[in-house]
Amino acid sequence: MWAIFKKELKTYFLSPIGYIAIGIFMLVYSIFFYLTTIMYGSLDMGNLYYATARYGLLLIIPLLTMRMFAEERKNGTEQLLLTSPRSVTSIVLGKFFAAVMVIVITLLLSIIYSVIVSFFGNLNITTIILTMIGFLLVAMAAISIGMLASSITENQIISAIITIVVLVAPWFLVDISSVFSSIDLMDKFMRFPYGVVSVADVVSLLSIAVMCILITIVLIKRRKAVK
Amino acid sequence: MIEVKNVTKKYGSTLAVDNISFDVKDGEVVGFLGPNGAGKSTTMNMITGFIEPTQGQIIINGNDISRKPRKAKKEIGYMPENVPLYYELTVREFVNYMAELKLIKRKEKKQEVEKVIKEVGLEEVQNKLIRNLSRGYKQRVSMAGALVGNPDVIILDEPTVGLDPKQITEIRTLIKNLGKNHTVILSSHILSEVSQICERVIIINKGKIVAIDTPENLERTTKERNGISVVVEDPKDNMKHLKEKIKEIDTVEFMKDNEDGTKQYLITTSSDIDLRKKLFDVLPKQEIVIFELKKTETTLEDAFIKLIDSTKGSETSNKMEEKKIKSKEKEQEKAKREENKQEKKEAKKKEHKENKENKKKEEKK
Repeated sequence: MWAIFKKELKTYFLSPIGYIAIGIFMLVYSIFFYLTTIMYGSLDMGNLYYATARYGLLLIIPLLTMRMFAEERKNGTEQLLLTSPRSVTSIVLGKFFAAVMVIVITLLLSIIYSVIVSFFGNLNITTIILTMIGFLLVAMAAISIGMLASSITENQIISAIITIVVLVAPWFLVDISSVFSSIDLMDKFMRFPYGVVSVADVVSLLSIAVMCILITIVLIKRRKAVK
Repeated sequence: MIEVKNVTKKYGSTLAVDNISFDVKDGEVVGFLGPNGAGKSTTMNMITGFIEPTQGQIIINGNDISRKPRKAKKEIGYMPENVPLYYELTVREFVNYMAELKLIKRKEKKQEVEKVIKEVGLEEVQNKLIRNLSRGYKQRVSMAGALVGNPDVIILDEPTVGLDPKQITEIRTLIKNLGKNHTVILSSHILSEVSQICERVIIINKGKIVAIDTPENLERTTKERNGISVVVEDPKDNMKHLKEKIKEIDTVEFMKDNEDGTKQYLITTSSDIDLRKKLFDVLPKQEIVIFELKKTETTLEDAFIKLIDSTKGSETSNKMEEKKIKSKEKEQEKAKREENKQEKKEAKKKEHKENKENKKKEEKK
């Protein structure tokens, strides 16, 4: 897993994708920093992360995940991976954590803003840390969805579109039936900015991630038999 | 040691590989020959564990590739057909990554990577991006990826496609050297290459093994007759009567008229006697001037075409028979229809006549 993780992370920053993802995050984060913290003189950093997750994550995740397996399949480099002694599980996990790492880097960068604000008042550090953990959990679930989308097609654009649709559709589908709120990632992130950690939220975010990772593994293994 | 046992691969309803079995011994260089779409790449992909066979077993050095993939795959270095590479990496980074994927210990890694880069001649370009390399170099990088970690079994899918002649000879000598202490399977449709490098050839067509043998044996078994090609100037057309003069000759076949007035003939004999001496004696006496006289040799190429054709031939003849049967059936149907038509016509005519007669009778009444 380590070898694949290292190479994938390196590839993010060899191509501009890694920088673009971080750039978009910082841009969205800064805009909301101005709109909430600066304009209202608020110390509520939690909602800042919520807004960034809602409007920024959506753009970043498909960027990070679309090429994961789609590109390997198209270029045939999948053959190199699958004929190596590494297991499918370690390949999938390596790629997954590389994408998660990019999000972790952005989160670390975002700490600068909190540090700046901390000079002007007392910040609730636990809430910020909890929100950041929640943000990471949402990102993990979204990455796993994107990874699954990438593993079912060899076209990166299709993979990105599937990811966006799956992430956004629940926002509107909720109006039809409240059932759809259960697959809405943002619904599970809503309470973190207030410092409220519900076990249900954490478990459902984690289980979405685990489920999508497992399906990806099974799909890739199965394709070996079918192909 | 590679053992392939009764392996079948189906893509949906199409049969790509049909129940093939063969062994490759340690240190052997085996060539895989076949026309496009014969199932070469599919077989190689199954041996390397990239795809699973629908049926059958593949065992690499005692480890089943589907049951113990980690152990089995560790013994294999694979160079796929389309030379897939990570274009965003440099040559060195790529080889390094392949070494990591192959579970090479960290201590040995650097040394191993350096050794392989030297072996395939990539030292000059080792810090260049793979994206910017020429086709020949890309091929070598892919080769390096297969060789790193010194695997026992090396599988090369069309290693010399798209290379210039100089690079081809380089790669060939490289493969020959590898054959000294590795088991090598390579596929190709260049026959001269296979006969040069390989100790054994597996000819495959339409998913089935047509022949497994050494290149020399294949040439021998497919050579049925001694053939001699002669180019002569023969104004009196005495070649026709040559068969009466030399009894050992089976056939004298006219091949072609050359522009300079000479003619080319193919003389065959079933016996092992070398006819050349006799021809030299007899032909001048018949006022035939010899311009050229040489033994024809069957090459692996002939063997290949013959074997492939033989499998095709049986199929086409089957199809022909089917067609014949079908056309017969059609004819029969046609005949039946015509009979029916005629019967109907006759019936109508009868009715007509009866009607007329009836009318006449009525009129008479």
